[in-house]
Amino acid sequence: MTLIETRTLSKSYRGNLAVDAVDFDIAEGEVHALLGENGAGKSTLTKMIAGVVPPTSGEILLDGQPVAFDSPADALKQGIAMVFQETSLVPSMTVAQNLYLGDEKFLNRLRGVAISAQQFLQSLNFTVDPTATVATLGAAKRQMVEIARAVRLKARIIIFDEPTATLTPEEKRHFFALVRRLKERKVAVIFISHALEEALEISDRITVMRDGARVITDVTANFTRETIVRAMVGRTLAGSEASRKVAVRPAGDKVLSVQDLSMGAVVKNTSFSVFAGQITGLFGLVGSGRTETAKIVAGVMKRDFSRGGEVALDGQPVRYNTPRPAMRDGIVYVTEDRKLEGFFETMSIAENFYSGHLAAGQNKLPVVSRAEMTRLAESWSRALSIRAINPDARVVELSGGNQQKVVIGKGLVQRPRLVIFDEPTRGVDVAAIAEIHHLIEKLADDGLAVVVISSYLPEVLKLSDRILVCRQGRVVEEFSPLDASEERIMYASVH
Amino acid sequence: MWWDTLLDPFRGKAVTIPPMDGAFRPNTRLETAEAFVEVARPEALLVHEGRLLVASGTDLLAFPLEGGAPTPLHRFETAISALAGLPDGGLAVGLVAGEVRLVGGRFDGRVVTEVAGRRIHAPTALATTGEGILYIAVGSARYGADDWQSDLMAQGASGAVLRLDLIESDGRILADGLAWPAGLLVEPDRSLIVSEASRHRLVRITGDGRSKPQPVLSNLPGYPSRLARAAGGGAWLALMAPRNRLVELVLTERAYREDMVATIPRELWIAPQMSSGNSFLEPLQCGGVVTMGVRKPWAPGRSYGLIARLDDHLRPVASLHSRADGHRHGIRDMAEIGGVLFAASRGGNAVLEIETGAA
Repeated sequence: MTLIETRTLSKSYRGNLAVDAVDFDIAEGEVHALLGENGAGKSTLTKMIAGVVPPTSGEILLDGQPVAFDSPADALKQGIAMVFQETSLVPSMTVAQNLYLGDEKFLNRLRGVAISAQQFLQSLNFTVDPTATVATLGAAKRQMVEIARAVRLKARIIIFDEPTATLTPEEKRHFFALVRRLKERKVAVIFISHALEEALEISDRITVMRDGARVITDVTANFTRETIVRAMVGRTLAGSEASRKVAVRPAGDKVLSVQDLSMGAVVKNTSFSVFAGQITGLFGLVGSGRTETAKIVAGVMKRDFSRGGEVALDGQPVRYNTPRPAMRDGIVYVTEDRKLEGFFETMSIAENFYSGHLAAGQNKLPVVSRAEMTRLAESWSRALSIRAINPDARVVELSGGNQQKVVIGKGLVQRPRLVIFDEPTRGVDVAAIAEIHHLIEKLADDGLAVVVISSYLPEVLKLSDRILVCRQGRVVEEFSPLDASEERIMYASVH
Repeated sequence: MWWDTLLDPFRGKAVTIPPMDGAFRPNTRLETAEAFVEVARPEALLVHEGRLLVASGTDLLAFPLEGGAPTPLHRFETAISALAGLPDGGLAVGLVAGEVRLVGGRFDGRVVTEVAGRRIHAPTALATTGEGILYIAVGSARYGADDWQSDLMAQGASGAVLRLDLIESDGRILADGLAWPAGLLVEPDRSLIVSEASRHRLVRITGDGRSKPQPVLSNLPGYPSRLARAAGGGAWLALMAPRNRLVELVLTERAYREDMVATIPRELWIAPQMSSGNSFLEPLQCGGVVTMGVRKPWAPGRSYGLIARLDDHLRPVASLHSRADGHRHGIRDMAEIGGVLFAASRGGNAVLEIETGAA
């Protein structure tokens, strides 16, 4: 019996269609895998089903009746729960307290809560100690608690967004056993994953999405790894062939060497090199550890304390605990989340550039020089073609493309030797994309070592002189853009 | 940060090896290359007077460059470890017995066992210049030229590079304390590029030997062996075995190493080899990882086939590989002529022929 169904469900953000008229359905006791590359619209579709975001058009039918959810709590009342990668449990509370959070009696006895949680968890066959503090649990057990909470609230549909990305193989086995038990209890499971083998193993049906639209839905037995990859990539080849590289820049000196770098379960023994005068493209799906690796190199994150591997800049081992020494050594990381980490939005363009100048320790005198600030702003605004209403405009008032140029400029004023761009054209208009691409190419032509992290395959193929593919926290394959294809890269990035 | 120096002892030493990426991006060009000739354990190559000379065990064979049956040139009492051609048509032949013999030409019959008081215990590479100068790389003062693994396991650094003026009979030690020098390349300015196998690097030695060896290419992903001048400028570098984390770990465990060396035959050590997978007694054949509940066999390779193409600044620009599942492993020497690179695969028992336009 069909539990939930969407009809021509669409969602657009500022005119950009994230989900385009998608028909989707799931039956009782079914495991339905939702696959697609980054930005395919999988998460947005499930968020609409779970009431996290409202749809722009189309309708959702629950048990054949149209429904509209105001919030996730509203959806949960109707039996739809979503489990995110980062669980929403309170780490300082026990498992039992988390299970009954928001549903406590007026006079609450911890022992009573623990006993009923114990009975409930046993009924699900979950081996979790109800008195354990959530902070002490591993990722899989936390997910168990999250699922138990959803089941306790009588969820009939549970949506998992990349549930296995951070799990160990042992934990994955527990998780799959758990999904099978949910299936036996007639719970419908929507499973978003980049792990094709997992999807092929556990699901009853698979839907592949691309560019916001549904490409194909069929029973799992009719799919193979190859057909899924083809459906995931299936862009018209003419477009990507036109922008295909015909020559690559030769490698200069080895600027960065990363060897066996590890950070928790996110970055696992990854090794790669970056050379001067080249653009090194880093492609990978969500959870592949690309951003985290770049952040460790730039001192934003820390590698494992013990046996965390080695990072060498120009052959010298370095360990940055904060970004400042990395900047001083000429490493610039241009963040993927510009609003949160990229700029000071209420400051002017000039002040933002000057903050980069200060951060790199290039200020000779311990005073702020207005003249220097103006000079920097003028030269870099011109170099980057930043279009603002006036020079004192606050960055928040600029368009996405110009904001991104400010973030890039803030890094470049530091006169770096290694620039890491993380999703440099995300949320940027087409004209600005071309300008940013041109700028990145020019940096490599000028002899800088450039790393471009991107989820958009045509961008990776167009810009890169070398393409590294990340999977499950490590670089697993290297391609030359001259002989790589989108399908080959995607094939290497899924597991 | 300054406190990292204090914390590092508690972090434990990271056993890391450089990745094979960039110019070392794996391919199968050695594995798919044509075999010029199949010959047992080729150790050294030399293009000499329009023929390709191949050192195979104790035999020195001459092959026509266009292919065909070999002519046996010479048979020595012990295995040949290095070859070099002299301008007058003679040959310098390094032998495992610890001597360099001069064959043919004006120095015919001369035997060199010592230079400037330094015994040539393990002649691993030879190079000559037009003025009758012979350069000799001595791998170790303790082990023979065919016993690099023992020197590596002992973490030896007793190798040297010697210079002998054959006309004046004047000898000099250019560099000492090297960790198994295995390849020599004479630069136009008469400085020498030396591959230091056990330290996985190339160093430059000045022609007069007065300054300390300067690293020019460090942290290679394998153990470098011979160097050969490339026709289009730059050089070819043979890497005779891959580095892997297990061997690096063994190199940090002295007691284990000593026990292994004392009780286990050399071919079965956890050490780099010229070929592997020949015996079920070899270690690391039963490795495995469990993925998705399925046991997948896996073991780090002890042998590999790898040649790097270096540019004029000795930076790697391309490479030729025979990967872990291949057989053309243990590349010891190369020679390029007429757009063809010949490579001696000791593990693969073959001399390979590669069109250099493709490399």
